[in-house]
Amino acid sequence: MNLIGISINHKTSPLELREAVHLTRNEIVEFIPQLRKSLLSDGVVISTCNRTEIFGFPLFQSLDSQPLIQTLIDFKPKLGIKPEHFSRYFSCGAVKHIFSVAAGIDSMIIGDSQILGQVKESFEISEDLEFSGSVLRRIFDTATKVGKRAIKETTIGEGAVTVSYAAVQVVEKIFANLEKKSALVIGAGETGELAAVHLRDKGVGKIAISNRTIERAEKLSEKVHGEIIPFQFLNEQLHNFDIIISATSSDDFIITLKDVQTVMKKRKGSPIVMMDIAVPRDIDPEVKKIDNVFYHDMDSLKVIVDQNLQKRKDQLPMVNKIIIEELVGFFGWYNSLDVVPTIKTMRSFFEEIRNDELEKIKHKLNDDDFAKVEDMTRRMIGRLLHNPTVKLREYAETGSNIKEVTDNTVILKELFNLNDRPPHEEKKNIEEKVEEK
Amino acid sequence: MLESIKVLNTLLPFFYMAAFGIYLYDFFNEKKSANNSKRVILFITLFFHAFYLVARMIEYDHPPITNKFEIFSIIACAIIFSYFVLELLTDIRGTGAFIILFSLVFQFFSSINIEHTYIVPEVLRNRLLGLHVINAMLGYSGITISAVYGLLFMILYKNIKSNKFGLVFDRLPSLEILEKLSFYSMVIGFVLLTFAIVIGIIWLPAAFPKFSYSDPKLVGTFLVWIAYGVGIAMKLFGNLYGKKVILFSLIGFLFAIMSLIITNSLAKTFHSFY
Repeated sequence: MNLIGISINHKTSPLELREAVHLTRNEIVEFIPQLRKSLLSDGVVISTCNRTEIFGFPLFQSLDSQPLIQTLIDFKPKLGIKPEHFSRYFSCGAVKHIFSVAAGIDSMIIGDSQILGQVKESFEISEDLEFSGSVLRRIFDTATKVGKRAIKETTIGEGAVTVSYAAVQVVEKIFANLEKKSALVIGAGETGELAAVHLRDKGVGKIAISNRTIERAEKLSEKVHGEIIPFQFLNEQLHNFDIIISATSSDDFIITLKDVQTVMKKRKGSPIVMMDIAVPRDIDPEVKKIDNVFYHDMDSLKVIVDQNLQKRKDQLPMVNKIIIEELVGFFGWYNSLDVVPTIKTMRSFFEEIRNDELEKIKHKLNDDDFAKVEDMTRRMIGRLLHNPTVKLREYAETGSNIKEVTDNTVILKELFNLNDRPPHEEKKNIEEKVEEK
Repeated sequence: MLESIKVLNTLLPFFYMAAFGIYLYDFFNEKKSANNSKRVILFITLFFHAFYLVARMIEYDHPPITNKFEIFSIIACAIIFSYFVLELLTDIRGTGAFIILFSLVFQFFSSINIEHTYIVPEVLRNRLLGLHVINAMLGYSGITISAVYGLLFMILYKNIKSNKFGLVFDRLPSLEILEKLSFYSMVIGFVLLTFAIVIGIIWLPAAFPKFSYSDPKLVGTFLVWIAYGVGIAMKLFGNLYGKKVILFSLIGFLFAIMSLIITNSLAKTFHSFY
């Protein structure tokens, strides 16, 4: 298989270079015609915040991936970017890499759940631009299957691996029904936004945002359908919330021990969760000594993140097993593409002999007898070719070993001199083979 | 019938061991297959235990409350019955091992020591006494389960407070659920204990000429009942939350156990049959 691919990702290059070559959807749409013009017959461009990858079948015999790299660099010029910042893939290695990406095991955070959707979306762009052939479609269909199997059959995607999500996970261990709870997110920066979105996704009954800059609070509250608590009235409102997540850039404590003691009096001791995901901290850590106050900061939440990352790493052998299984299945299918024309040629060869012989006796027999002989020879040819046909298909579909398939087809061709058959019968292009299958 | 009773008496601890084992296995491994099959095993155990108790009642012509080890067997059955109902109502299946362990211990000692006797004092053949004892046992099972959930709550509470996110954090349900389970068990226990006390008040004066309301066992049980009643009322009307509710359950349970030990071992009472 002459599939080639290149990848610039978190393992091969620093962030600024990955950012420099990142392609938006519109840029991919603009870039694909350049690839089609002189490099690839069909292909896929995947570009996320941590990787940009190009895979495809070359237009010509050359399997050199350097022109792909150069085309990308020319399209997104960046000082300092070199071919050494790219990994190169070929044939089985390329397919395996695509499967690994889809399964999330090649991601910066192992088990990343977003990558599967991004891979599917990238292939859809190629399909929309009619830049995807049948083999590529099969590769990406199988990649999607790998991703889904990894999620379903292993725990590679389970457990919080970001501090914001770990905070929500702890909240879930304290409260049973989040629909009946109210949450306050202090700080509308990136971390606060992530926490607010997680809380909304978990179905928290009421979300409120408080931020020094009211515009940012408004923007975030709109996103999570929450309300706004003016920053200057924060302390007066704290007791109304079961969950408080603070992620501001304040240098001093926003919530002191005394504040929380007052809050607990007003709440009559009802449990409250306080997540301090700011550096430096926003909430006085002394509050954790108060009964029914569950206080956690970055350090304690990082414990959960590290544990979950380790659990995901433990799942890698199982995900790799799935990848290998699907690789075997895919190459079984791919190898069978070579077999289809051989079977067809063999059958037409036998059919021609039958027709020749029938032609010779046609005038010696009456119509009824000829019909009987014709029927009998057809059945005979069918029975004679049944076993070789089935066996060839079996070799192709069950074995990933291309040599085994090739050996058998070569022997068959030599035995019956099928190599001398007209080329149009055997040299169908790969698309036609797929259609026939 | 006698043979069946003897066979079941031998088999019951093994049933409990199987149920305990699969619940424990599921707690540590969280396998879907075990998650479904463990409830079936628990139901089979409960079914055979109930059958065993009914068979004893028919064969010996008296409720199975005539000696300590029959009572042990009733306690074992009452605990898993209460747990089974709770599991069905809440569909929280992760905590069974901690409850079934109690049943296993009680049934183990019962099976080893139980006697197969037809001759018992006439007073113990009374059906009303049987109802009284069964209600009391179920009531105590309720408060035992409440205490177990209380203990699990405290363990998880301490784990979360001290940033320990290990097996306990992964497998136990949320604190709020544990609190609810503990409270519901406490309410069920309290209601059944109320039935036992009411039946006792109706039946005891008729059965015992020396009956006295100042009997230590009666006073002790009544105090336990009052304590739980106050706790439940405080939770419902006084907005008692989290750790305080649990501490109430745990202290109440210790108080109940102490009361039982003192009144059964130290104080002289008419309310003693064994």
